[in-house]
Amino acid sequence: MVLVLAIGDLHIPHRAPDLPAKFKSMLVPGKIQHIICTGNLCIKEVHDYLKSLCPSLHITRGEYDEDARYPETKTITIGQFKLGLCHGHQVVPWGDLDSLAMLQRQLDVDILVSGHTHQFKAYKHEAGVVINPGSATGAYSSITYDVNPSFVLMDIDGLRVVVYVYELIDGEVKVDKIDFKKTATATTHSAH
Amino acid sequence: MPAAQIDPTLPETAAACSSSRPVQEGSGRRRFVDLRGVQWRIDLGILPADDGDASTSSVDDLRRVTANSRRRYAALRRRLLVDPHIRKEGSNSPNLVMDNPLSQNPDSMWGRFFRSAELERMVDQDLSRLYPEHGSYFQTTECQAMLRRILLLWCLRHPEYGYRQVYVKGNATVLIPPSFPALSTGMHELLAPLLYVLHVDVEYLSEVRKQYEDHFTDKFDGFAFHESDLTYKFDFMKFSESTDDEIGPQETPVTVLNELDPKIQVIVLLSDAYGPEGELGIVLSEKFMEHDAYCMFDALMNGGGGAVAMAEFFSFSPLGGPHTGLPPVIEASSALYHLLSIVDASLYSHLVELGVEPQYFALRWLRVLFGREFDLEDLLIVWDEIFASDNSKIKRCAETDVTSSFGVLNSSRGAFISALAVAMILHLRSSLLATENATSCLQRLLNFPEDISQEKLIAKAKSFQALALDANISAPLPTHTGAYDRSKPVAVRGHSLSSDAISPGSPLSAVPDSYWEEKWRVLHKEEARKHGSAEKQGQNRIKGWSEKVRLRLSRTESDPSPSKAGSRKRDPRPSVRRSLLDDLARQLGSDEDTEVIVSGEDLNQKNPDEVDGQDEERRLSGNAGSEENSSIFSDPPSPVGGGNNDHENDSERSSVASNLSVDENEAEESNVGSSRANQEVLPLPISDPPEDTSVKCEQSDDSTGKSAANFKERKLLSGKFQWFWKFGRNGGEGISEKGGADEATKTSNSGHNQNTAGSSTADGSNSSSVNAKGDAVDQNVMVSLRNLGHSMLENIQVIESVFQQDCGQVGTIENYSKNALVGRGQVTAMAALKELRKISNLLSEM
Repeated sequence: MVLVLAIGDLHIPHRAPDLPAKFKSMLVPGKIQHIICTGNLCIKEVHDYLKSLCPSLHITRGEYDEDARYPETKTITIGQFKLGLCHGHQVVPWGDLDSLAMLQRQLDVDILVSGHTHQFKAYKHEAGVVINPGSATGAYSSITYDVNPSFVLMDIDGLRVVVYVYELIDGEVKVDKIDFKKTATATTHSAH
Repeated sequence: MPAAQIDPTLPETAAACSSSRPVQEGSGRRRFVDLRGVQWRIDLGILPADDGDASTSSVDDLRRVTANSRRRYAALRRRLLVDPHIRKEGSNSPNLVMDNPLSQNPDSMWGRFFRSAELERMVDQDLSRLYPEHGSYFQTTECQAMLRRILLLWCLRHPEYGYRQVYVKGNATVLIPPSFPALSTGMHELLAPLLYVLHVDVEYLSEVRKQYEDHFTDKFDGFAFHESDLTYKFDFMKFSESTDDEIGPQETPVTVLNELDPKIQVIVLLSDAYGPEGELGIVLSEKFMEHDAYCMFDALMNGGGGAVAMAEFFSFSPLGGPHTGLPPVIEASSALYHLLSIVDASLYSHLVELGVEPQYFALRWLRVLFGREFDLEDLLIVWDEIFASDNSKIKRCAETDVTSSFGVLNSSRGAFISALAVAMILHLRSSLLATENATSCLQRLLNFPEDISQEKLIAKAKSFQALALDANISAPLPTHTGAYDRSKPVAVRGHSLSSDAISPGSPLSAVPDSYWEEKWRVLHKEEARKHGSAEKQGQNRIKGWSEKVRLRLSRTESDPSPSKAGSRKRDPRPSVRRSLLDDLARQLGSDEDTEVIVSGEDLNQKNPDEVDGQDEERRLSGNAGSEENSSIFSDPPSPVGGGNNDHENDSERSSVASNLSVDENEAEESNVGSSRANQEVLPLPISDPPEDTSVKCEQSDDSTGKSAANFKERKLLSGKFQWFWKFGRNGGEGISEKGGADEATKTSNSGHNQNTAGSSTADGSNSSSVNAKGDAVDQNVMVSLRNLGHSMLENIQVIESVFQQDCGQVGTIENYSKNALVGRGQVTAMAALKELRKISNLLSEM
């Protein structure tokens, strides 16, 4: 059982001062095994904070990130799942499922995590999953000002992923859950 | 036994059979000698200990109880070992706000999951280091998994104790708050032997069964029950996990039981899959080792409602200790010291002097029940004895006593544990007495030698067990000084029993000797370690060497033995005493004397650590062999002692009365002066009677606790004066501040006066009631007060003389700083003595 935190688009300090306090109190060290971050942190302090939650930290580069060393895309394998990571501003039109599915096939991953739209989205697509964890700080995007802070926690256990969506709506943390099972065909598919 | 006839080639199995048959054993206590696991389960109260009249029904009982305990464990495991993934499917719509991985609610499923995961990590850390030398068993994955589950479940079941840790670093045991992550615990070391015992039992049983199978294959007509067990194992595992059905797989109508030879029925019945409760009822089953081990562990930790609950030793809060308000383990440690103070006061005071708190080492000893002090095999023997002791609380009539005592000593098991610890300390006695600081002391205590005789230790502990129980009952206060008051008779009894080879050591009267013991040890440690074999009594020893010195170096001088005997014969001769004192002091000044003394001392040094065994013999041989003069010395007093004893034997009461007569008192007091003045910094007259007693006890072995009655009151006081004596010593060495010396001495003196007065009043009333003369009470009081004055005067003289001697002696040592300190301390002490003299004058005028 592995817990993977997917988080991104914090835009600290340009568009938001900090993570919401409720989120911060939930994110404690010791529970999460991996963090995948889609980018736009934007400063090193945020990077350090995430590192303090969990040493295994994977970040791709957003367009506002100060650290230019982050890669554009990244793939990691956790358990039996292969995860792809990309900020998403490179994928046009932004947040388009077909375009993201194309990237998913390119990276050959089971789960693609991307950001940039600041809207939580999760699609089951072609025996895979496309997830957008949204903005963890609720920072505005170039598309919309109406953003709820949100992040995603994936519980990867064997061939099964449970996606927990944490969304801060009107000061309350709302949790949702999406089950996803990787089938044998999916395995063969991703093996291609 | 018929079993032997049937199965002559298999003595082992026959033994197993007979041992599991209560009728043959005679005593129900050790029913399962070969099946230690079963025996422990009975001892720990998991299985019923029946009288052993109907073997079959008792076996059925055992099976039923076994099955029930296993069922409880299975239910517990299902309930507590949560897997969030499995739960999710069971309950379709969980409250996601609460039950999510990041939930902060500790009661949420995930919260519990993370907690147990954390526990598991800690447990694993310990388990990976568990008995590496037994890696073949304890380090196997199955065993580790079992241990982990059991510990995890127990901790989850008892969250108040958590997973407590003892972190042993170097030789200091450090307590670490439970939140600290990288720790080492003791609990797994309590559990591992239990599991190991079960494992050994199962192995043993399977061996036996194999042999029986060979032997009885024809009877089963090719259908050996051994195999039938195997066929059902798989099914039953599922069964036990999935249902709580009461009835096992009895549907197979095999007539095994009827066809079996009744002689081996018990052992078969214990392990028969078709007996009551089916496979779940097999008393020794490999599959249910985990269940059984948990039950044993739980019973051990919770104590089964008894006084000793190991879990309390892991708790930091005083939840189980209503008596003292201390954490139970600390209380148990001080109970241990209390027992030690009774058994061997000199060693006790030595340890206290060094500041060796009992919990420094007792924490480790008690928490894992000596698991780290002994090898596993030895530990099993020790635990046999521990578990064999009844753990139920002893009802005491003096329940009204508010300041009762140590909870751990409330049961015979607790008493045995304490007694064993004391026996272990005594085993190290000589090396402990030789240590100068707490660190090396602890080093010796925490690195207990492995090559010790278990039997000896256990026998010794057993002899202390009753003492511990008595001590607990009689000890009114948990503080040591207070505890002396009423435990005195006990100590005296133990003392007088010294001839019975179970003597714990000299009682309180030996305490003052420790000072000199220490001194000599500091000076001549090496020699001290080498020699051995001597008598037990410290007084005799010191007298012995003083005699020796005198006799060796001034043979032409007047024979001290007669004078001693004379003084004992109620002849207060201060002048003689003084001259003797000076004599000795002078002699002590020279180096060669010291050597002589040391050789005398050496001979006596070893005696304490061989408390058990043939004490009498040794003492006699020590007396005879240690010095050529010992016979001269020891002979003269013996008539007196014998006379006294006869006296006491004739009428205890009259001896009380006679002891209280003026002459007697004076004799005793002067006795102190003459016999002790040479050696003691502050030989209190009050503390003398014990010495007399000891002498008497020694000389006539058959005299027992009778003398105790005589000197009870006075000894009581001597206990109280220990601290005073200590103070005197401190003052003499200049350790305590000079200014306070005066006042403290005064106050202690006044305390002294009061106490003595009280005691003599008591004595007086005693004697008045008994005395044939019928003296008036107040007269007696006056007499005793006068005696008191006398005694104080003598006391002062003694102190003075000792100071002189002290100077001379210290001069011989190349310890100049100490010398200077003594010199300074002398000034203040002398001032204090002046005060003392005033008081004594006042008193004697009364």
